Amino acid sequence: MLLRLIAASLLFAGIFSPPALAMDSKEIYQLNEKRVFQVRVLNRETGKKSSIGSGFIVGDGSQVATNYHVISQVVTEPELFYISFTSKDGQEGELKLLGLDVAHDLALLGADEPIGEAITMSPLPPRGAPIFAMGNPLDLGLTIAVGTNGGILNQTDDSRILFSGNLNPGMSGGPTFNDKGKAIGINVATARNAISFIVPSRFLNDLIEQSNAAPINDETDLKIEVARQVLAYESSYIEQLLAADWPSLDLRQVKLPGIISPTVRCWDNSAKLSAIARYKRYQIRCANKNHVYLDGDNKFVGNLVYEYFWLESEDLNALQFYNLYENLNKDQIESKLDRDVVSNFNCRTWFIEVSSQELKSNLCRREYVEYEGMSDVLFTAALTGHSNQGFFITLIMTGVDYESTLPLIQRFLEQIEWKP
Amino acid sequence: MEALILEISTRGLHRYQQIDGEVTTIGRALDNDIILSDPTVAPHHLKIIRHGDSSIELVNLTEINPTRVNNQRLQSMVAERLPLKLEMGRVQAQLIPRDYAVANTRPLAGNSHGKNLFGHAYWTALLVLACLFVGGTEFFLNSYNTVKWSDLFKYVLRETVLTIGVFVLALSVLERLLVNRWEIRQLITTVCLVYLLFNFVSMSGHGLNYLFSASWPTTWLHFGWYLTFIPCAIALYLIHISHLKQNRAILLAILIASPIAVPSILQSQHLRTLLDDFSPAAKYQNSLSAFNWHLKDSVSIESFVEQAQELTPGEFAD
Repeated sequence: MLLRLIAASLLFAGIFSPPALAMDSKEIYQLNEKRVFQVRVLNRETGKKSSIGSGFIVGDGSQVATNYHVISQVVTEPELFYISFTSKDGQEGELKLLGLDVAHDLALLGADEPIGEAITMSPLPPRGAPIFAMGNPLDLGLTIAVGTNGGILNQTDDSRILFSGNLNPGMSGGPTFNDKGKAIGINVATARNAISFIVPSRFLNDLIEQSNAAPINDETDLKIEVARQVLAYESSYIEQLLAADWPSLDLRQVKLPGIISPTVRCWDNSAKLSAIARYKRYQIRCANKNHVYLDGDNKFVGNLVYEYFWLESEDLNALQFYNLYENLNKDQIESKLDRDVVSNFNCRTWFIEVSSQELKSNLCRREYVEYEGMSDVLFTAALTGHSNQGFFITLIMTGVDYESTLPLIQRFLEQIEWKP
Repeated sequence: MEALILEISTRGLHRYQQIDGEVTTIGRALDNDIILSDPTVAPHHLKIIRHGDSSIELVNLTEINPTRVNNQRLQSMVAERLPLKLEMGRVQAQLIPRDYAVANTRPLAGNSHGKNLFGHAYWTALLVLACLFVGGTEFFLNSYNTVKWSDLFKYVLRETVLTIGVFVLALSVLERLLVNRWEIRQLITTVCLVYLLFNFVSMSGHGLNYLFSASWPTTWLHFGWYLTFIPCAIALYLIHISHLKQNRAILLAILIASPIAVPSILQSQHLRTLLDDFSPAAKYQNSLSAFNWHLKDSVSIESFVEQAQELTPGEFAD
């Protein structure tokens, strides 16, 4: 009996005790505290910090990985800002930009000489496994946040890992470790308490490889490079959308493109109507989540939004109905950018025959001042010719190559089917 | 010798003095035959001598602000023909014969009875009713919920009765102050006509926007309304109802229309569109119409995509 108990205890311990090599947060912190830095963007004139984030040693020991959004001021105003790092024990030095992956919000920086031992990368552990994010929140000192791996999010084009720990401003660019002390990703963003996001380390490996082959140098026009990367990413994204089969959704008398990509989520957005309303309206809003950080003031691009709006009434006469219909037909791009950032919109109107119906359509386009070839596109199309039925579609894309959006608009229109 | 008449104009008002003596003196001093109390007139400014051969001799008596006759500076002259235009200081006068023709009599608007809109009170009442109907229709066309009579009443009271009332009140006070008239009924008729026309123009502009697939119709109707129609309507009212002279009526019309036109123009989206060279919003043609009358032809999806390739980005702002 005693032997059985001893055997059972040993079996229990074997199953439920952590693996022999698993590290706790204290051990991970102690192992990496000299390899994780505060990354600072300093003003050349005042010598003071303009923005801070975190970074960690990678590659050959002279390279530091961080987020693009931490150092974006150096891209927009290289003559005014420069990058430096400071370690927990007071080690300091200037860093130069070696590579960018704007689409995944990564930047690779380089020191003149090795500054420590590089952190090794590892693939993502299983969903639910503990992971540890290190960084320097709010300039308060190096800390470690504990949470679990929530898996790769397909609604962000597989470029984000969900992390159940708390990331705070200043931790961006810091490493996220598995319980072996190896980096599985880079801290990037937070949504709210205990909902944080990590960039998988495979994107950083790609960036290191590309930067070693062709590093950014003094002759690189950084804004052209940023625009090139964003446009390439968005064009590839649109190609993926076009290559996929689009499921349909029904909205009263029309059949429409549904969730056209795993990156897209659709919500019923119908407004609550008054009990005495003499009409019915239904609204569906679909949008992606893989927004790309462009530069200061939280300027993001990469939005794909499409909205469907159906309006019908048996009680309103045609004049009343069209007054209401027109009042609702005024969608806009939500981001209100100013004249320093974008051009005016240029809009043109067409009446397009779609599935035996006529849609009054508007296509508007504006371009970014500093990012050549990058456009925001707004397309609207409203059903005409029905006295008590209205329907309109709005399609918005930001930070895209204008020409690449036309096949997508065409596909949208071709997939609209009127059900008599 | 036939008597002459001196027509003296002061601030748009005329007074008439008969000159029947052989010698008549004009000036500010109290010993003159005709006394002009304006400070720019000399104590003894002008002497008029009538000769037996019907000629008239004018003698200037002052070196300060000397008399001008027919826009010529005068020391002394003998005139054979009338009328003569005189300027004494800033007082303007005219020397005219007694049989000088006067302008035709203008009929009072009310005298023509039913022949024109201003002729009878029933026209005014009819126009007021038409305005109330238009106000009610406007409410009805913009009501998308079950209509309550109390809401209709409040809307018509606020948007029609108060609007017309405020304009009638303000314009009648102005009319009283500026031309010393008080013609409320004609004013109500005019304001009602303008109100009806305004609604018609607004609706038409909207339809034209859809017809042309452009926003210039409402823009130009907006400017045309405030910069042309409103001043013209006021000028016509002042000429035909208040019987003012044309030049004065135009000046007064501009004066009266300015407080209405200037804020409306300054606050209008159209002006901002014209003046501001940047807008973060896409100004697209979102008008929709129950009639669906449009000049643009419908195109296929393929043609649209082909034509859309030529769409350039908007202008960069300065």
